Amino acid sequence: MPSRQTIAVIAVIVIIVAGIAAYLAVTSHKPTPTATTPQTPTATKTPQAKLELTGNLKEDLLRVAKVLTSNGIHTVKFTVWGAGDPNSVMRTLGIVEAAHRLNKILEENGVDLKIVVEQRFERGGGNELFKEFLAAYEQKANPDIMANSYIHLAALASQGLLLDLTPYAEKYTGLLNDFYPALLDAVKWHGKIYAIPQDTEARPLYWRKDVAQCIYRKTGINILKDLAERVKEGKVTWSTVYHYAELAKKTGCAEWGMIHRKGTAHPDLIQFIYAFGGRLYDPKTGKLVLDVPAVYKWLSVEYAFARAGLTPKNMMSWDWAKQIHPTVVDGKTLVFIGGTWHWTEWQTKPYYTDPKTGKKRPLTPEEVAKYFYYTLFPAGEEGGKPVTLSQPFVWYVAANAGKDNPKYQQLSDAYHALAFLLLVKASDPDINAIHSIISSHLPVRRAAAKLLRDKAWIEKLAKLQLDLAPEVKKAIAPIVKATVNPINIEFLANVSSYLEYTHLTPKHPYYGKLASIFADAVDKVLRGEMTPAKAVKYIIAQVKADPDLAKSVEIVGKIPENWKFPTS
Amino acid sequence: MGAERLRSFLTSRRGHLAFFLAPALTLITIFYLVPLILSIYISLTPLKYWQLNRYLTDLSHPLENYYRLFYLVTHHPDIGKVVITTIVFTGLTLVVNVVGGLLLALATYLMEERFSLFYRTLWLLPRMTPIAVYSLLWYYFFHGSRFGILNSILLSLGVIHKPVWWGVDEKLLPWGAWMILVYVNGLVGVSFGMIIFYSALRSIPREQVMAARVDGATTTQLIRYVLIPSIKWHIVFVTVWELLSLLTTYAHIFLLVEWGLIDKWWGTTWALFVFNTAFTAQALDQGLAAAAATVLVAIGLVLGLITLKIMGFKELMIEPRGEL
Repeated sequence: MPSRQTIAVIAVIVIIVAGIAAYLAVTSHKPTPTATTPQTPTATKTPQAKLELTGNLKEDLLRVAKVLTSNGIHTVKFTVWGAGDPNSVMRTLGIVEAAHRLNKILEENGVDLKIVVEQRFERGGGNELFKEFLAAYEQKANPDIMANSYIHLAALASQGLLLDLTPYAEKYTGLLNDFYPALLDAVKWHGKIYAIPQDTEARPLYWRKDVAQCIYRKTGINILKDLAERVKEGKVTWSTVYHYAELAKKTGCAEWGMIHRKGTAHPDLIQFIYAFGGRLYDPKTGKLVLDVPAVYKWLSVEYAFARAGLTPKNMMSWDWAKQIHPTVVDGKTLVFIGGTWHWTEWQTKPYYTDPKTGKKRPLTPEEVAKYFYYTLFPAGEEGGKPVTLSQPFVWYVAANAGKDNPKYQQLSDAYHALAFLLLVKASDPDINAIHSIISSHLPVRRAAAKLLRDKAWIEKLAKLQLDLAPEVKKAIAPIVKATVNPINIEFLANVSSYLEYTHLTPKHPYYGKLASIFADAVDKVLRGEMTPAKAVKYIIAQVKADPDLAKSVEIVGKIPENWKFPTS
Repeated sequence: MGAERLRSFLTSRRGHLAFFLAPALTLITIFYLVPLILSIYISLTPLKYWQLNRYLTDLSHPLENYYRLFYLVTHHPDIGKVVITTIVFTGLTLVVNVVGGLLLALATYLMEERFSLFYRTLWLLPRMTPIAVYSLLWYYFFHGSRFGILNSILLSLGVIHKPVWWGVDEKLLPWGAWMILVYVNGLVGVSFGMIIFYSALRSIPREQVMAARVDGATTTQLIRYVLIPSIKWHIVFVTVWELLSLLTTYAHIFLLVEWGLIDKWWGTTWALFVFNTAFTAQALDQGLAAAAATVLVAIGLVLGLITLKIMGFKELMIEPRGEL
């Protein structure tokens, strides 16, 4: 009898659920947090002022060590997790090296304390590691330190899983001031510092030199003449890029004018919002911003490029390995909105079809330098400024850092301070510069950027004649051999200057949702399913459909009337 | 006294029933009922970012997730596509799986055993292949560039003159995306029906088939009047089973959408929407996902019961009337 069965099943479920609810209601003595908005940092753990640091690393280390050794602790264990491409091993080894250096100081001062670091490095992006961290925290199986993208900062801090480093970091102003200012913003949330920058990248606009030369031969127009300077001064805007792209296509010098990423909108394409003078976050209200005029202008650029056949209509569905990269490295486009990491990716992956053999192979560093010119991401329109966008990786310290050590409840302050000192040491300019060179990331501090121009030091690195922990030396030896190349280091040194122009995407827990809506809209305008105006309305409708998102997003401005792209 | 009672219970008809049903009931409780109850319970809490200690005991706004879900369904510009896709995908794939499974079973039943075994194994391959590998295979088959296998075949035959983006092309949507979904999932699902129907057909007494043949029945008549009526209950079972499986399937679809082979909204089913809401790093909203999953369970329950009613499940459960 189906109807009776249904009633029985529903009744059983309702009774059980009600039972559990009643049980929980009766037994839960402690007040439950009702934070439904993630903006409240109330749950984050603030270190008590018992162990104040001075800003002198050696002095601080010895003070912390004294507290620990007087309590009978002679070994402190920390775990560090990190993720990234195979060459980014210093994200975890940097902490191992820092422990090695701190242990040396302790030894030299006759202190019987040893810091042991257990590291785990995963290949791939940080999203999986972030999810694993969340789940592990519940079981107290999380690492003490984690290298991951700064985009998770708001989510982690809002859930109280991160140690507030502000009281410690404030003492180390020398170190803080050496970081690029935008990167320091990346580690702050609600005015507090929750992480230390580890590495970053920038997003140059790549221009094919051979396509530009072809245009010059056929039309006499020299696109590349002082291009980097003209972009920097804001004289080249996206309308200029459009005209150049048109030339490339009309002259038959390239099949496409502009190629960009597939799939998600952030962060390569988000640069358009900043290039059009828009913003994504309001620090005063703590809300995300949907800057209607800037988003409309961005979508208008995509729409115009796709309608003129300068960008593929199906760009968002292209295959990275089979279409996007081959199109770029084989010179079938004038410009490519890429990232600094592509410079070396083209040297390691076989995207290029050798015209002599007809076989696929990676480009050599010399070929990459021969084919590619790079500039900042141009201003959206006249009067605007060029931009770039970075997504730094940072080192987080868990709110329960040191939990695996004895007398944790009693000595948590000392363990927390020690974890912070590890990060300070791991930020040593040479550690940061080594990571930059071998992984093609940009240094996060100016002192490390300086080292990239220090030929003597680079020579020492190439021969591995640096004073490093044996474990670290052994692990990076093959990567150093394959990556330390003057062409690549020069590229890194040049694009490091872009960090003065860099922007970051907001560290808001709902930013990911908003970016995902942008991606949908870009796809729709490229395919011609929607006009830019309709797509903006679509974005607004999607934002409003999610009550949480609607509460967190401020919609500002209107679609500019009579504004057209290209503007000139 | 207690032991006496237990013995009399175990020797009674109810005792026998309890004894034999206990293993199955235990499994159902552990693997179905408990997760279901947990899911319903989680839907009443604001659980997110997997922070169980923080949110799991918070029942201060038990209907909040259902309100959010209702709001989403009534305001989101693309959620309607998800609902329609779920209905079309489930309906079409169900037909492919049941009818296809039946045709394959009949074909393999009627052919010689040595060919039959090879043929059946062949159809099991999609089910045996790891999901990622299998999906990748179809990703390259249907890919919209000239590297896509289907495109390169059609281009070389001169059927099309430029590559077609089967799953995302505006002119082909939504059917382009749906066809890929149905095709890929249908190939996986069809083997289930085939195995059940084939073994059911094999259990029909040979005499019945031979008698029909002797009486001059053609193959079509044999299928229509002897074979299909004999496996009616298997058809009911496979239909209901596949219906419920299809409502909750998402693995292949997830990969095809993630890789950009099919349109994000015309390719997302409700089950995938639940998965994305709970597990993608951008969302991690387990409370809302649990609410959406609970709605799916309720719909599955109702649809299952309706299907059983339409297909005459009651008749199956009637005590046999004995030998005629």
